[in-house]
Amino acid sequence: MSDTPSSSSLVGRIGGLLMLALAIAYGIGGSQIEYAFASDPLGPRVVPVLLAIILAALCLLYLKSPGSTEAFPKGQLLVKIAAVPLLLFTSALLLEPAGFAVSIFLLTLGVGWIFGAPLRLAVVGAVGQAALWWFVFSYLLDVYLPAGRLFG
Amino acid sequence: MNLDYLWNGFTVALTMQNLLIGLVGCFIGTLVGALPAIGPINGIALLLPIAYTMGLPAESTMILLAAVYCGAEYGGRISSILLNVPGDAGAVMTALDGNPMARQGRAGEALMLSGLSSFVGGVFGAVGLALFAPLLAGLAIGFGPAEYFVLMVFAFATLGSMVGSQPVKTLIGCTLGLMLATVGLDATSGAYRFTFNEPELGDGIEFVVLVIGLFSVSEALLILEHQASGVTVIRELGRMTARLDDIRKSIGATLRGSVIGFIVGVLPGTGASVSSAVSYTTEKRISDTEGTFGKGDVRGLTAPEAANNATACGAFVPMLTLGVPGSGTTAVMLGALMLYNIQPGPMLITERPEVVGGLVASLFIGNVLLLLLNLPLVNIFARVLTVPNWLLVPGILVLSIVGVYSTHASVFSILLMLGIGVIGWMLRKAGFDMAPIILGFVLGHVMEVNLRNALAISGGDISILFQSKISIILWILAGAMAVMPLLVGWRKAKRMKTATS
Repeated sequence: MSDTPSSSSLVGRIGGLLMLALAIAYGIGGSQIEYAFASDPLGPRVVPVLLAIILAALCLLYLKSPGSTEAFPKGQLLVKIAAVPLLLFTSALLLEPAGFAVSIFLLTLGVGWIFGAPLRLAVVGAVGQAALWWFVFSYLLDVYLPAGRLFG
Repeated sequence: MNLDYLWNGFTVALTMQNLLIGLVGCFIGTLVGALPAIGPINGIALLLPIAYTMGLPAESTMILLAAVYCGAEYGGRISSILLNVPGDAGAVMTALDGNPMARQGRAGEALMLSGLSSFVGGVFGAVGLALFAPLLAGLAIGFGPAEYFVLMVFAFATLGSMVGSQPVKTLIGCTLGLMLATVGLDATSGAYRFTFNEPELGDGIEFVVLVIGLFSVSEALLILEHQASGVTVIRELGRMTARLDDIRKSIGATLRGSVIGFIVGVLPGTGASVSSAVSYTTEKRISDTEGTFGKGDVRGLTAPEAANNATACGAFVPMLTLGVPGSGTTAVMLGALMLYNIQPGPMLITERPEVVGGLVASLFIGNVLLLLLNLPLVNIFARVLTVPNWLLVPGILVLSIVGVYSTHASVFSILLMLGIGVIGWMLRKAGFDMAPIILGFVLGHVMEVNLRNALAISGGDISILFQSKISIILWILAGAMAVMPLLVGWRKAKRMKTATS
């Protein structure tokens, strides 16, 4: 799965630059925290600013030698990988309006299919998982899960 | 030495409810450990919010999580031996001799021997924990805010020098964790930090959201990416008993592995991956006179197995007595204690003896249960390896959603978990370990509070951090830990130069 050394270190360096940008943004944000009083000499700003400096220094060290980085997926695999968070996102948004069972059915169906299950098996697996988890959590473990507003 | 807490602990751990919880935890833990790439942290991360919302008392939750932790250390060996794919980081070294044994038709023997050595390592670790926890707690009673702050620095220095091959990445992970811990309301000044006017971030990032995002969601993406690389399950287990000769041959390795595992476990910030590697290389140096290590030598199998189980128990020592986790998994368990508003530290044994005692006692009971489960049921656990990913991964994602949603009934938490999961996946692709982030997050708040308290006491004089003997010793140890990788690198380079010339 390892990439060639040159592109691998390039990916690492891009990541390092992103983290350096994060350190700078976090440091600026930290230095602008508003507060009315502080009962200690440091206050709420100093630690974030210190952490930003430490992260920035570590990022510079990291940029010098990013070490081994796995190749990021391309093509069809990238589409598949992007689809999983998208399905999770959709399920999360559907959870309260459509209910746990529907939302989980769609998630397990989609993810099962992405993971290579034939559609028929994916449907059977999704129905089974939605029913199983609903039964286990709602009835056996008494964990609150939304039934959904769409179905009353 | 006062071991009353332990006897009280047995009365807690031996109640019918806690015994059942321990048994369930051992079973789930072994399953979780047996599944490749789903380690103890994932299992604990998924179970913690469910146990919490079920209203289990703190001691029962800790017993459950400890059982899952130890069970996963037992289970990790199954996929290492049968698939040559470690169930978790601690089982990496087990594969080196375990899988060759399986390929020689001795899978059953390898599973039995590793089960026995896991038991010895686990019990040794539990005895060590029972004896050393009160000692260390007694020592730590003299710790003030300054000493605590320096102790945290020491924990990070240890982590930076011992975990992973790239200390800079480990330290970046720690810093990211510390940064995440600053999100939310600052109790001292009443200021909101990095909440972006989002009310749900007012209390900071939920621990379970971070853990499940970093471990479970990112894991699902990694499994999808790696599933193309096929692995073969060895289905023929062969004879399911260990030869007396092999047991005799592996006694020394098992005991040495147990001692090394416990000591490494006690060191803050290190984990089973370090201890099993150290015990394997030590054993190789001592015993591999005929060059049989890596080709199915029982000593190469039993030493790391004993070590990773002893480490699991040893890692509880600093967590329970100092509030500094000994491993990534105990960092998650520390977070679990905090969910129950329990602050680990030297006073925990006296203030909450039922939690500490119950946990220690459950480790003894758990190891016996695990041995009883693992020897006869190993065939069933081995079958778990055949569960297809298209069924397994959606299940993990459902548990992640339930785990996060059940704590606060908040969709925002699921979305946050998702975002953290995607970032976690990217970081893991770039070679970052997730445990330092968790450690930084868990210790971040305590570290900042202690630093600010120490400076408040001294009126802003930073020399308070270097005044007491304990602080000075901890600074020296932290310095030594920070310099160690440089020395090792220099020695290695010198050796290579000599070899080339």
